[in-house]
Amino acid sequence: MSYIISFCDCVIYTWSMENSTLFQFEDVQLDVEGKHILQGLDFSINKGEFVAVIGASGAGKSSLLRMFNALASPSSGRITFRGNDIDSDVQSLRRNVGILFQNPVVFEGTVRENLLIAGRWDQTISQTLDHEILAALDQVGLINIELTHHARDLSGGEQQRLALARTLLNHPQVLLLDEPTSSLDPKLAREIMDQVEELREALNLTVIAVSHDHLLMRRYAKRVIILSEGKIIGDGDFHTLDKSHAFEDAGLLKNEVNNAT
Amino acid sequence: MRPDFYVLSWNDLLVSLLFIAFSLFLIKKWKLGLENTLLVGTLRTFVQLTLMGYVLTWFFDQQHWAFMLMLLFLMILIASYEGTRRQKNAIPHFFPAMLVALLGSALLILGTILLFILDVEPWFSPYAAIPIGGMIIGNGLNSTALTANRFVGELKHREKEIETLLALGATPKLAVYDAMKASIHAALIPNINAMMTVGLVQLPGVMTGQILAGIDPIIAVRYQIMIMYMWFTTATLANMIMLAIVYRQYFTSRLQLRLELLRENKG
Repeated sequence: MSYIISFCDCVIYTWSMENSTLFQFEDVQLDVEGKHILQGLDFSINKGEFVAVIGASGAGKSSLLRMFNALASPSSGRITFRGNDIDSDVQSLRRNVGILFQNPVVFEGTVRENLLIAGRWDQTISQTLDHEILAALDQVGLINIELTHHARDLSGGEQQRLALARTLLNHPQVLLLDEPTSSLDPKLAREIMDQVEELREALNLTVIAVSHDHLLMRRYAKRVIILSEGKIIGDGDFHTLDKSHAFEDAGLLKNEVNNAT
Repeated sequence: MRPDFYVLSWNDLLVSLLFIAFSLFLIKKWKLGLENTLLVGTLRTFVQLTLMGYVLTWFFDQQHWAFMLMLLFLMILIASYEGTRRQKNAIPHFFPAMLVALLGSALLILGTILLFILDVEPWFSPYAAIPIGGMIIGNGLNSTALTANRFVGELKHREKEIETLLALGATPKLAVYDAMKASIHAALIPNINAMMTVGLVQLPGVMTGQILAGIDPIIAVRYQIMIMYMWFTTATLANMIMLAIVYRQYFTSRLQLRLELLRENKG
């Protein structure tokens, strides 16, 4: 009997593990103009994780992030999303996997026009009611803002929040952040990241954030992937990796690491 | 009294060289350093157009539809080549895109004019088909060459916007919609402006030519009106066909913007 139960447990465990895997990278390589930008990437991302991808500039962080929503494709190897090839349905993948760029793109027009820009091709978005728009703005901490306000008149931090709200209206499962706070002051950066963490919990989002600022990231991410010259040289929790040389090897100063811990 | 005809003789043409001589004098005085270029341009204008006159006369004498279509196709080939050469950016498959755009718009518009507007008899009469076809092709070439340059500029300028739209789930066509709109606007607005001011500010070349050749101004004006409408439609149609082919070159089958194309310039 006990054998049967443990067998069942094992099946359930295996099933739930497979079920919770969102992204699977298998020996992924990216070459651009003959140069290896990323190589030998083998890892998976599970549902609900907050993963930070850390590395010095030029390590390939942004290139890696762009693969999660198929804005870039590997030169060799395979990526799957929920068990299917990542490029089997790119449009639906991108609605599921939202991205926030370093410098948010705000289109000419009002706050409402910016939020509903996906309504050009998605009827569910174009039919969004005002109270739903206001709820999305509230979720990202943009309160007391007129929907008729000209979006390009907003401050840098407000524009980043607007871009976040626009992504949320697609109801994504995954949020990709590409150095989203690097152009903001530290206080504002913390506020935005706090907001993202709240959203992750409230909406059960998976967050993958690329940053050179591991001091900021260790406040939020449970897992860190350290990239150096296109290769993963560390993957685990911050505490374990602090004991290795991965941060220094990636060109991140040891003093910084010690001060932060 | 209205003269029946002004015949321009070779001697008369020699006198018109005085214009060039006067320009040369001015250029020299201002030390603009354009003398040689102007002399080559003057000579090429003379040689090319004179040869074209003989070629056209020969073609016109053939009175065969195949000759007319061949000549039109040759004009379209040359225009497509010229349009490709004028691009600042190496647009993939631009030559076939121009060819399809010019062929499509020329066939449709020239066909309509010959068969339904002018009721030319026979329909392939080179006296109507070649000059009107030439205007259509020339205008299509100028407009599409400018639009394509502008479009690539817009893509470079809007790279982040386009990627943001793609990331939100847009198709490539919708992601570049604003870029296409801006470049078509830039191409068509001069055409619309010309329609607004024609006859008030300038008298168009065709009309002037017809009046000089002794045609009643009322008739000449009718031709000009048809030509203005024809020009606008040619520009609209040729640009749309060209952009519908060109924008696709900037995306992969996985709906990714081909960033490497936006980085490189023609060598």
